[in-house]
Amino acid sequence: MRKVLIGGIGNVLLGDDGVGPYVARLLAARYEFAAGVEVADLGTPALDLIDHFTTNDAVILIDSVNTEADPGTVLLYRKPDIMRHSPAVRMDPHSPALVDALLSAELFGVAPADVLLVGIKGESYEPVCDLSKPVKASMEQAIAEVLGELDRLGVEYRRRQNPAEPGIWWATAEQMETPLAT
Amino acid sequence: MANRITIDPITRIEGHLRIDVEVNNNAVSDAWASCTMWRGIENILKGRDPRDAWLFTQRFCGVCTTVHAMASVRSVEDALKLEIPLNAQYIRNLILIAHALHDHIVHFYQLSALDWVDILEIPKADPVATAKLAESLSPWTRNSKTEFKAAQDRVKAVAASGQLGIFMNGYWGHPAMRLSPEVNLLAFTHYMQALEYQRKALQVVGILGGKTPHIQNLTVGGVSNAIDLDSTSALDMDKLETIRVLLTEVVQFVNQVYFIDVCAVAALYPDWFKIGKGVNNYLAVPDLPLDSAGSFYDLPGGYIVNGNIGSVHPFKTASDKDFRDGVSEDVAHAYYHGDKPLHPYKGVTDPDFTGWDGDKKYSWVKAPRFNGAPMQVGPLAQVLIGYAQGHPLTRKYAGLAIETIGSVGHIQVTPGMLESTLGRHGARAIRAAMLAELAQKHLQLLIDNVGKGDYAVHNPPVFDSHESEGVGTHEAPRGTLSHWIVVKDGKIKNYQAVVPSTWNASPRDASGAHGPYEASLLHTPLARPEEPLEVLRTVHSFDPCMACACHTFDPSGRQIAKVKVL
Repeated sequence: MRKVLIGGIGNVLLGDDGVGPYVARLLAARYEFAAGVEVADLGTPALDLIDHFTTNDAVILIDSVNTEADPGTVLLYRKPDIMRHSPAVRMDPHSPALVDALLSAELFGVAPADVLLVGIKGESYEPVCDLSKPVKASMEQAIAEVLGELDRLGVEYRRRQNPAEPGIWWATAEQMETPLAT
Repeated sequence: MANRITIDPITRIEGHLRIDVEVNNNAVSDAWASCTMWRGIENILKGRDPRDAWLFTQRFCGVCTTVHAMASVRSVEDALKLEIPLNAQYIRNLILIAHALHDHIVHFYQLSALDWVDILEIPKADPVATAKLAESLSPWTRNSKTEFKAAQDRVKAVAASGQLGIFMNGYWGHPAMRLSPEVNLLAFTHYMQALEYQRKALQVVGILGGKTPHIQNLTVGGVSNAIDLDSTSALDMDKLETIRVLLTEVVQFVNQVYFIDVCAVAALYPDWFKIGKGVNNYLAVPDLPLDSAGSFYDLPGGYIVNGNIGSVHPFKTASDKDFRDGVSEDVAHAYYHGDKPLHPYKGVTDPDFTGWDGDKKYSWVKAPRFNGAPMQVGPLAQVLIGYAQGHPLTRKYAGLAIETIGSVGHIQVTPGMLESTLGRHGARAIRAAMLAELAQKHLQLLIDNVGKGDYAVHNPPVFDSHESEGVGTHEAPRGTLSHWIVVKDGKIKNYQAVVPSTWNASPRDASGAHGPYEASLLHTPLARPEEPLEVLRTVHSFDPCMACACHTFDPSGRQIAKVKVL
């Protein structure tokens, strides 16, 4: 059985940084996946990411990214794109994040070949529990990219007949009332 | 003329900890610690249901998730004067211990060992000699020539590829690195093994908490674990046995590997017992309650002023009146409005960003003070406060550490030497050994209590319209954590978290007194100021964590620290 992790990364209390967990929860609510696929809201892991890389055959992560692109732009990064960066000087346990975790897993010789980061350019990282409009609008595309990767990997999934409640417990009432395309 | 050095890792949108030091004649003459990110997450909690607060506080930080959840439910319970069932205390204690063991192992191996271990010396090591050395230090069965050879081959492959990968930014070959190739190989091999054992500790958190990194079993008034020794869907004998097996392995790693490695590294860098002392006021809260009301604890708390261990002031409870009344936060040098120190119940978080100015405001971290003074928190504070009170478990492992360091390094070690950069690592290892013993004790307490037929896990909270205040504390891996809540009409009126790294990374206060990181860096000698390894050693010894995790990936490649020499 192939083990695949679909992980949403980010802090749900810091505006658009929460898009990763939000997308992961939408995916879990709408789709059923083949055995061996785990969909998880990972929060803001640091070195714990090493474990995820070492225990899965493929890893798909959804996270906010910081680039020159317009807010809401969805960008894809594969393993070599991530690995070409230098690791950070480890000032605190948050510093060794994605790049360091992947480089560490690679050192131990156990990093999966299939790593995809679905990045969404954020607009605001202020301490609020809402997503900005452009980021919210980009979530459908992010979901499509995750499903596209599963297709590429030959991993099966199907839409639930009755979608579950996504459990976005942190969002304000106002945001929850905004209908999401389902 | 003085040089100014800035270490500023640009790993997130706003970065985290930034350290500035002024260097005169190759020694630090002044220092500034700052957090480069806005800390206003508490404002999100105002107006919400206090029973939900822990779900939000658990997201303050991606590394210390459980600790903020625990302090939050404890704050509401303190406000309501609500006791919790014994089983709930034991289950919470086990989660806290397992999380702390995970955290201490990760801190030493992943976040600070490479400050002392030179990766590029490893290819020169003799695996047979390494195995012989290891055997003289510890009965650890994985100290084999085969494991050392395999680890060395990995490093050789990385070095031969010319792509240093994860080791790219290390200060290899730095004159302050002084271990033999064999000791470097020994420590690096354990660095790789440590990953397996920290994972086992986290599995314990997952079994009891339902999930990691965000546990799901807390509730104001207790826990939501169903206990039924015969039901596989509840906490049953099988799960308790799994926990016992996992803990046994983690405990063995702590005692035979982590504890020994810290003692060995300390013995081989004895001059670092004289560096990094800094603020010698120490603060710790009692933790691991042994009864429903929280009147007896397995970890003692209190405070010490001016390093005067002989006159330690103990705290009787985790929300001791002396602690509650003594805490204030000063914003004279932090980016907030305010003209005097405020108690956390009255705390205001009103930003006033003016840019970094070492003479004025320079940090997003407030300056917490206890009875008006800066305090050092963390394992060192806890160990010194326990030692001073004659706490038997603290004395047992502090004694063992002193003996081990002395015999490896052929040096005379005294408890006072713990007040140093290396002493902070030593104290963390002492604390880990204490927690390892307590993990097994609390598991047995839980099993025995359930065995008596007590399955209670929750006392329901009752809110009224009165305004009430509560403090929830936890002696977290990085030190004293306190959440301060004001509840009115069943809603949160005010919420402030005073986190361990706020105490330690504190900026100066109105009187100009340095915070602990800052004070600890003064007079540190630097062999090569442009490669400030010595600064990192001392800062890392505190286990910094800025509790404001924002996790955006920066694909532009700017993920390296900016070490600027001005």
